Amino acid sequence: MTSQLATLVAVLIFPGGLFALVLGLALKGADRRVAARLQGRVGPPLVQPFFDLIKLGFKRTMVPTEASETVFLAAPLVGSVAMLIGAALVPIAGVYAPDTQLGNLLVLLYLLAVPGICLMIAGSASGSPYGAIGFSREMALMLAYEGPIVLIVAAVGMRTGMAEGHWVTFSLTEIVRYQQTHGWFLFDPILWPAVAAFAFFYPANLGIVPFDIPEAETEVLEGPLLEYSGPALGLFKVMSALKAVVVLGLGIALFLPLPFTGPLAFVGWLAEIIVLMLVGVTALRVSAGRMRIDQAFVFFLKWPLLLAIASVAAVALAAGGLS
Amino acid sequence: MTFINRLKDFAVKSPWLYRINGGSCNGCDVELATTACIPRYDVERLGCQYCGSPRHADIVLITGPLTRRVLDAARRVYDEIPDPKVTVAVGVCPISGGIFRESYAVCAPIDQYFPVDVNVPGCPPRPPAIIEGVAKAIAIWRQRL
Repeated sequence: MTSQLATLVAVLIFPGGLFALVLGLALKGADRRVAARLQGRVGPPLVQPFFDLIKLGFKRTMVPTEASETVFLAAPLVGSVAMLIGAALVPIAGVYAPDTQLGNLLVLLYLLAVPGICLMIAGSASGSPYGAIGFSREMALMLAYEGPIVLIVAAVGMRTGMAEGHWVTFSLTEIVRYQQTHGWFLFDPILWPAVAAFAFFYPANLGIVPFDIPEAETEVLEGPLLEYSGPALGLFKVMSALKAVVVLGLGIALFLPLPFTGPLAFVGWLAEIIVLMLVGVTALRVSAGRMRIDQAFVFFLKWPLLLAIASVAAVALAAGGLS
Repeated sequence: MTFINRLKDFAVKSPWLYRINGGSCNGCDVELATTACIPRYDVERLGCQYCGSPRHADIVLITGPLTRRVLDAARRVYDEIPDPKVTVAVGVCPISGGIFRESYAVCAPIDQYFPVDVNVPGCPPRPPAIIEGVAKAIAIWRQRL
């Protein structure tokens, strides 16, 4: 009973739910502010995403007559809930370790695919041609980046698992604990291809320039989100804020968890996630142009996939050399 | 009740802009879309965001004398914008037709077709005037929320 209560708290309050939502929206606000400064503007206040969300709550939700209403309204809800649970599956080194009952890295991988699928469903259910274009682009992009992420996770899991004396581990907690004693995987040359592949994966997953092709405002008018208004659009904003926390949190857990415990670990984790957001997301998105979908598709099937395969092979060979 | 009002005070800080070009000569559009709304004057500091979809919009800015060709399309797009919304007419054309006045091809003044809340006269209006128009529209929008 107490473990169920703890799981509920983890999903709804900390580190999922409320905490992840506030952190995600604050990260989005910092992103917009810093992007404006980099472009020589003043920019919106840091709490702007909160204002946006409150505003969307006061607006009317319109459902197009061509849309399939149930699916149209359910898509953002499903996506947000998936990310809510996903946020509870990401460990914070020295502060929080997810309950094994809730799921492991494989469950997190499935949950990470849900927002993309929800965007696809939303685009096709909205009955708008721009939504349909967004749907096809999102699908092409997902097909391209889902392969590398599975291989990245497999490489990190194998590296940890083989060092600990078994085959492969899919427990993020174990991966974090191993790095806390043996140092970051970021500095492990065998996993450098995996780090590089992850650096290509997360902008595509978060849908930022240069890989924001499905939601390109200037081409397909935000594609799947075109027909959404009011609270339903707000739920999509919630979903993308939570996703930023989940994906960046996953990156930290896989490659650079801090070896501290207690309050220091928590503050350090916050600092890491903010730095990753500002350097990895903001600086990237203001300095790059958007790729075409065919370019992005070929790019992902070429470099990140190759790097991820190289990483798995390197880990396997290194383990073979060890034994 | 006061809590709802507090929330509305926060909500009003996030006005999203949408632009309808009603057959404008593009003079006002240049002042609006590329000068007033983008880096030089940066309306994003007021929380404004320029959005591509009418469904996301709160404040709709209409330019041009509303040519007959564009009338139906403009009215359809206007109806797609969810309530509560505020309408700003930018330039002298929406008010009187401007230099196109008494042409057989234009439907100005546009307040025959749209409930205009704020007029920003000028040919074209200066960017600070457009931003002031947006600020007035935000005050009207607060009452409608």
